[in-house]
Amino acid sequence: MEKTEIQERVVKILTPYVKDQGALANVSAATNILEDLKVNSARLVDVVLAFEDEFDIEIADEDVDVVNTVGDCVGLIADKL
Amino acid sequence: MNDEAKVALVTGAGTGIGAACARALADEGFRVAVHYRSSDVKAKELAEKLPGAFTLQADITEPEEVDALLVELKEKAGRLDVLVNNAGTNRNGPMASMKIDDYDAVAAVTRGTWYLTKRVIRRFMLRQKSGRIISITSVVGHTGNRGQSVYTMMKAGLDAMTKSLAQELAGRPILVNSVAPGFIATEMTEELPDEIRQGILDKIPQGRMGEPEEVADAVAWLATRASYVNGSVLHVNGGMYGG
Ligand SMILES: NC(=O)c1ccc[n+]([C@@H]2O[C@H](COP(=O)([O-])OP(=O)(O)OC[C@H]3O[C@@H](n4cnc5c(N)ncnc54)[C@H](OP(=O)(O)O)[C@@H]3O)[C@@H](O)[C@H]2O)c1
Repeated sequence: MEKTEIQERVVKILTPYVKDQGALANVSAATNILEDLKVNSARLVDVVLAFEDEFDIEIADEDVDVVNTVGDCVGLIADKL
Repeated sequence: MNDEAKVALVTGAGTGIGAACARALADEGFRVAVHYRSSDVKAKELAEKLPGAFTLQADITEPEEVDALLVELKEKAGRLDVLVNNAGTNRNGPMASMKIDDYDAVAAVTRGTWYLTKRVIRRFMLRQKSGRIISITSVVGHTGNRGQSVYTMMKAGLDAMTKSLAQELAGRPILVNSVAPGFIATEMTEELPDEIRQGILDKIPQGRMGEPEEVADAVAWLATRASYVNGSVLHVNGGMYGG
């Protein structure tokens, strides 16, 4: 799967959790999930579960620790596909 | 037993209170995963008697064994609706003469309970958006008890985990509660020295130890009919202590 397609699907999954919807307009690989999109950290687990379901992969708890940006999500998912 | 039956995992279900919980949950229609560590004969005998039940072996102090248990549970049952954290151990003695190994032995099971619970939430309950987690703690975690500094500390900690987790998961909704037995007639209490045993009986207003089934009743209620009880400790102790 192309990284651009993964990113589109990642952003779609993140969208309902994004508090600053305006920030979605110029989202890029460098966009920080907590700081820029203002996703509540307590909801990250839901996002990870949604990634697992969407891409049919399993994400270990340790992997989640290194995810800060949209690009990190895309990289993590691409590695597992 | 149909495939849609809800599934309950009871840890330490080969013996005592855990076995009674497994029977009570089976009576409520649950398919029960009868977990054991070393009581394989008892666990297998019990599972054979309960419709749809099956056994799972693991030392819960080992994270890899907990992970493997959950993989097997997923294969065998596909879902998990109720977790009963019953497995427990104790080391008793005057604190001044206890060893750090005693502490570690009891703490390791508490750590394992935390890890199992965390994995169950992540693997099953958050995805299912439902679930009940019930931890068997103890009245002595609230009252204290001579000779049980480590055990009381760990059980009080588990009750605190119940409260924190209930707040974390309340919106999902996954209900998290503890059942704190008083003194219950099982192998664990049979091992107590006579003078401690008598001292205990003197403290119980109902004048007798409880039966494992009386604890299991409370667990079955929390696992089924309770819907607005969350982050609570349900005391089952013959009037010793009400919270
Ligand atoms: N009896 C009481 O008066 C009383 C009062 C308050 C609270 N409690 C609590 O109730 C629970 C059950 O106690 P019980 O009285 O029924 O005693 P029990 O028969 O000794 O049960 C303890 C259970 O824990 C399991 N276990 C211990 N260490 C384990 C480990 N590392 N990994 C996996 N399983 C482990 C044992 O499994 P195996 O046998 O298969 O090794 C056993 O089935 C405990 O949490 C206890 O603290 C008991």
